[in-house]
Amino acid sequence: MDSTTTVVKGIQPATVDLRGLLKRFGKDVVAVNDVDLFIERGELLTLLGPSGCGKTTILRLIAGLERPTAGQILIDDDDVSRLPAYLRDITMVFQSYALFPHMNVFENVAYGVRVAKRPKQEIEERVHEALAMVGLEDYGKRATNALSGGQQQRVALARALVIRPRVLLFDEPLSNLDAKLRKRVREDIRSLQQRLGITSVYVTHDQEEALAISDRVVVMNQGIIEQIGSPHVLYTRPASRFVADFIGSANFIPGHYDGQAIDVLGYRRPHVQDMASGPVTVMVRPEAIEFAREGEEGVEATYLSSAYLGPVTEFIFDIGGVEVFATISGLGMSVAERGDTVRLRFNEAGVSLLPPE
Amino acid sequence: MAVTTPTTPSRTGNGMGLRFSGAWLPALVAIVTYLTLPFGRPGRPFLTIEPDLYALALGAPLLWIVLLGAVASFVVSLLRLNTAVRGDVLIATGTVGLGAGVLWFILSATPFGIGALLTLAALALVLGHALSESGRIQGDAFIATSILVVSLFVILFIIYPLFTVLRAAVIIDGSFDLSQLRRTLTHPLFFFLDNPRSQIDEIGLTLRWGMVVAVLTGAWAVFRRRSVPVVALRLVLGGIAGLIIGVLLYGRGALPTSLLTVAIVAPTCTLLGLAFALLGQRARFKPIRRSLDVISVLPIITPPFILAFAMIFLLGRRGIVTHGLFDMSTNWIYGIPGVAIAQILAFTPIAYLLLRGSISSLNPALEEAAQTLGAGPWTTMRTITWPLVRPGLAAAFLLSMIESLADFGNPIILGGDRNYLATEVYLSLTGRFNPNEAAAYGVVLLALVLGAFFIQRLWLGGGSFVTVTGKPSSGALAPIPRVLEIGLTLVLFVWTVFVAALYISIVVGSFAQLWGVNYTFTTRHYEDFMRAGWPVFLYTARVAAISAVPAMLLGFLVAYLVSRHRFFGRRFVEFGSLLSFATPGTVMGVAYIFAFNTGPWLLTASATIIILALVFRNMPVAIRAAVAGLAQIDPSLEEASTMLRARSLTTLRRVLFPLLVNTLVTGLIFAFVSAMTAVSQVIFLVSPGNQLATVLLLGWVEQGQLGRAAAMGTILIVSMLFTILVVLGLAQRISARVVRVEG
Ligand SMILES: Nc1ncnc2c1ncn2[C@@H]1O[C@H](COP(=O)(O)OP(=O)(O)O)[C@@H](O)[C@H]1O
Ligand SMILES: [Mg+2]
Repeated sequence: MDSTTTVVKGIQPATVDLRGLLKRFGKDVVAVNDVDLFIERGELLTLLGPSGCGKTTILRLIAGLERPTAGQILIDDDDVSRLPAYLRDITMVFQSYALFPHMNVFENVAYGVRVAKRPKQEIEERVHEALAMVGLEDYGKRATNALSGGQQQRVALARALVIRPRVLLFDEPLSNLDAKLRKRVREDIRSLQQRLGITSVYVTHDQEEALAISDRVVVMNQGIIEQIGSPHVLYTRPASRFVADFIGSANFIPGHYDGQAIDVLGYRRPHVQDMASGPVTVMVRPEAIEFAREGEEGVEATYLSSAYLGPVTEFIFDIGGVEVFATISGLGMSVAERGDTVRLRFNEAGVSLLPPE
Repeated sequence: MAVTTPTTPSRTGNGMGLRFSGAWLPALVAIVTYLTLPFGRPGRPFLTIEPDLYALALGAPLLWIVLLGAVASFVVSLLRLNTAVRGDVLIATGTVGLGAGVLWFILSATPFGIGALLTLAALALVLGHALSESGRIQGDAFIATSILVVSLFVILFIIYPLFTVLRAAVIIDGSFDLSQLRRTLTHPLFFFLDNPRSQIDEIGLTLRWGMVVAVLTGAWAVFRRRSVPVVALRLVLGGIAGLIIGVLLYGRGALPTSLLTVAIVAPTCTLLGLAFALLGQRARFKPIRRSLDVISVLPIITPPFILAFAMIFLLGRRGIVTHGLFDMSTNWIYGIPGVAIAQILAFTPIAYLLLRGSISSLNPALEEAAQTLGAGPWTTMRTITWPLVRPGLAAAFLLSMIESLADFGNPIILGGDRNYLATEVYLSLTGRFNPNEAAAYGVVLLALVLGAFFIQRLWLGGGSFVTVTGKPSSGALAPIPRVLEIGLTLVLFVWTVFVAALYISIVVGSFAQLWGVNYTFTTRHYEDFMRAGWPVFLYTARVAAISAVPAMLLGFLVAYLVSRHRFFGRRFVEFGSLLSFATPGTVMGVAYIFAFNTGPWLLTASATIIILALVFRNMPVAIRAAVAGLAQIDPSLEEASTMLRARSLTTLRRVLFPLLVNTLVTGLIFAFVSAMTAVSQVIFLVSPGNQLATVLLLGWVEQGQLGRAAAMGTILIVSMLFTILVVLGLAQRISARVVRVEG
C-alpha cells in the first residue's frame, strides 16, 4: 500500500483515472464527451455544472452502473471499465438517499456487511462503528421514515462507509435538505471525509457547496470539462467565460494586454498572467469594482442605476458600451444621477484575463 | 485495529476483479451431467436410464464438441487472467458447447433427455457468467443468464411455434405449396356469398348495399358542399363500405361470420365499457360503484364460455325465459345473435377495466378549468373529456375485437350452423385431421389479430405494452349530466339483472333434476361431478398451480429486465410477450402441437406441454402485475443495493421481493386463476390421462350433460372466487406486516 495513504478503520483509498471517457445514450445524446480526469488518493473532488451536463453520468460510470461507450476507468492501476458494479470497491450515496423502506436504521447500515456474509459479531461492531461516525449511535432501532432528512442522509452515509469503500461517490447528497441543514451536513461530510482520508467524488450544481467542500473542483458543461482547479484558482483565474459566469458572477469587458498591464479604454492597470499580448477579454468580479479616488487612475463609466441593499449597493454602469454590474460597499458612495460620468478602478484580486471574444 | 480487513477469497489482493470465473461451477456441472445422465430419451418419460442414450455412447462428433466446450470452459474459468479477457474467452467456449448441442438436436431430431437439458442449461449459465464478466452485458451473471434464458424462451415457446404454423400453411410434404392454402381460402367453410339453395339473391343484395351506402355518403358530401374530387372519393369509399356490409350480412363461412360478430361485439363492448367507467367514477349514487367492482372481477373468475352455457338455460330451446315464460321453442340464440350476446357479456368487463384506467387518469383540474370558463356538462364532455378518453376507447375497441376474434368457447357452444375462424382451427385439426387447413385458418386469424394490434400501436404512438395505467388523480370530478346518468344507470341495471340471472341459473341448474322439464331439487349432478369431474378438477388445480409459479417468476423476471435494464434484445423480449398476449389461444394451441409433437421435443400428450402452454399464456398477466409494482419502487434502491456489493439475485431477494410481496402474490393468483379457466389453447393439448376441467366442462355442455356441467361450473366459479378473496386478503395482511415489523 502507498505510504502516503492514511489508514482509518480499514479504508484503503484508491486513485481514479478516467481516460478519454465517452458515454452516449442512444445515437444523439453525448452525456460525457471525451473526459480525462485523475482523482488523487484521499482527495475530495467535486463535479460542478448545470443540470444535464453529465455529472451524474460520470459518477455512474465510475460506479459501474453505466458502461462507457469508449474510454477507460482505472481504479489504482486496474482497468475496471468492463467490471460489473458489484466487483468494484466503490459505493455511492444517492440523491434520494435510497434507504430501504422495509428495514430499520440498523438493518440498512448492516446491509453491505450482511451481503458480504460477515460473522454476526463483526456485523454488529461495524454497524455501531459506522453509526457512531455519523453521530447516530442510538438510532439503530428506528424506522428510516421516522428520521429527519438530515438524519436519513447520515444513515445513507453510514451505510456506504460500513463496507469500507476505496472510492466514495456522492450524487447531490444535499439537494433534498433545507438551506440551513445543508450547510451543517456538508461540513459533517467534509470533516468525516478528511478524517477517513477516503477518495471521494462529489456531484453538485451548487457552486457555493462545491467551493466550500472540495479539494479540487471540476467545472463541466455539456459533457466536457471546462476547468479543473482548487476553489481559489477557479474563482480568481477562470479558464473560460462559462466558468467565470458559473462560479460567482462576472463582467466581461474588452481590453488589451501587453505582458505587464491591461488597458481598458485607456485605464492601465498592472497585471501579470500567463497570456499572450494583444486584445483580451477582461473578467472583472462585481465586488472588485470600486470608485476611483481623487487622482487615482480609473476607467470612465456612465452610471445607469443602483439598488441600495444595506451593506452593499448594486450598481449598473456602462463602460464603453458594455453593461457592467458592481457591488460596492455602501460606505463612501456618492449620489449620482443617471447619465453621470464616474471613474472606476478594478481591484487586482477580482481581475482575470480571458481570450478575446 | 479491532476489526480485520475483509477479503473475499475470490477477489484479488490489490486489483479489482475475480481471481477465477464464477463459470467454473456451471461448467463442472455441465461436465458431470454430460457424463452421468442420459442425453436422449426413448419416448415420453424423462427419467429412463438406458446405457445407449448417453452422449458418449451416441458418439456423435457434435456431442464431443459439447464436452470439449464444457471442459474448456472449466479450465479457462480457473486461469488467472484479466476478468474481462477471460470472460471473452469463456463466451467462445460456452457458445461452442451450447451451439454444438443445440445443433445436434436439430439435426438428429432425437428427443432430448434429462442429461441434455441439464448440460445445456449449465452451459447457458456458463455463457451468462461469461457475458457478465466480460462486460458484454451490463449486470452480473444472474442478469446476463436471465437475459439469455428469457430471450431463448421467447424464441422457443412463442416465436418458433408460431413459425411452425406459418410453415405448415405453405409447406406440404417438405415443399413449398400454396394449393392447400388456396383450397382452404376458397372453400365454402371459409367464405362464400352466393348460396344457390337460398331464396334470396345474395350477390344482388350485396351490390344493392354498396349502391345505397355510396349514394348516401355521396349525397352527404354534396350537402356539405364538398369539392367534386372529395364527393367522388366519398362515393367510392361509401360503395366499398356498403359492399363490405353486404358481404358481412349475406356471406357465409368463417370469415364473414367472425367479422360480423366482431362488428357487433367490439363497438358494443366499448360503449358499454365507457358507460360503466363513467358511472363508476362519477355516479352520484354510491352502490353503483360497488356493483361495478363486482362486474370487473367476474370475467377473471369465470371460464370464458360459462355465460354462453348459462344462456342456454335462460334463452335456449328449453330456456326458462323463452320456453318457461313465453312458451316458445326457439333456436334463435344459436348463431350470431347468441355468440354476440355471450361475447358482449364476457368482454365488456375487460373494456370497462381498460377504460376505467383512462377515465380515472383524466385530470379533474382540466374539467374544472373548462367549467370555470362557463362550459356546461355537455360542452365539457365534448371538448375536454371525449378527446382525452379517445385513446382509451381505441384500446378498448381493439382489445374487444381481438378477444372476439380469438374466442373459442362461445362459438363452439352457441355457434349453431355458423362457423367461426377460431373454431375452424380446432375442427379442422381434430375433426377433419387436416393440419394444413388448421394452419391456414391459424394464419388468417393471426394476421387479423396482429394486424389489429399493430394498427392500434401505430395509431396510438406505440405506447409500450409495459406501461402502467395512470393513477387516479384527486380532485372534484364533474358529475355527468343527469339525463345521461339515468340512462346509463338503467343500462347497468338491465345488465346486472341479466348477468345475475345467468349466474343464478347455473347454480339453480346444478341442483335441478332436468332443466326445462323437472325442477325438483337433487344433488345428483354433484354426485356425477364427484365421480367423473372431481379427479379432473384436482388435476387441473395441480397443473394450474404448477404453471402459476413459473409464469409469475418468468413474468416478474421479464418485467424486471425490461423495465430496469437496457440490453441488446430488450425490444425483442417485449415484442415476444406482446405476441404471446395477442395470439389467439387456438392458434397457439395448434402451434404447440406442430412445434412440440416431434423431433427433439416429443412433449405432446404430456402434462409438460400443458404446463408450458399455460406458463407462456399467463406470463403476460404476471408481467403486467409486476410492471405496475416495479413502477412504484425507486430504482435507486436497487442501485444502492448493487453499490453495497449485493448481486442482483440478492437484491431481488432482500430488497425487491419484500417490497413487492403483494404484487407477486397477485401475479401468482391471477396466473393460477387464468390457468384454471383457460380453454382455447389447452383444448388442443389435453390427452386421455391429462384432461382439464374447462375442457371437460365444455365437452359436457356439448353433449348436453347440462346438469353436471352446471355443477362443475358452480364449483369452478366458487372456488376461484374463494381463491382470489382469501389469498389476496392474506397477501395484503402479510405485506402490511412486513412493513410494520421491519420498517
Ligand atoms: N439513462 C439515460 N438515457 C438517456 N439519456 C440520459 C440517461 N441518463 C442521462 N441522460 C442524458 O445525459 C445527459 C447528462 O445527464 P446527467 O449525467 O444526469 O446530468 P447531470 O447529473 O449533470 O444533471 C442529459 O442530457 C440526460 O438527459
Ligand atoms: Mg444529476
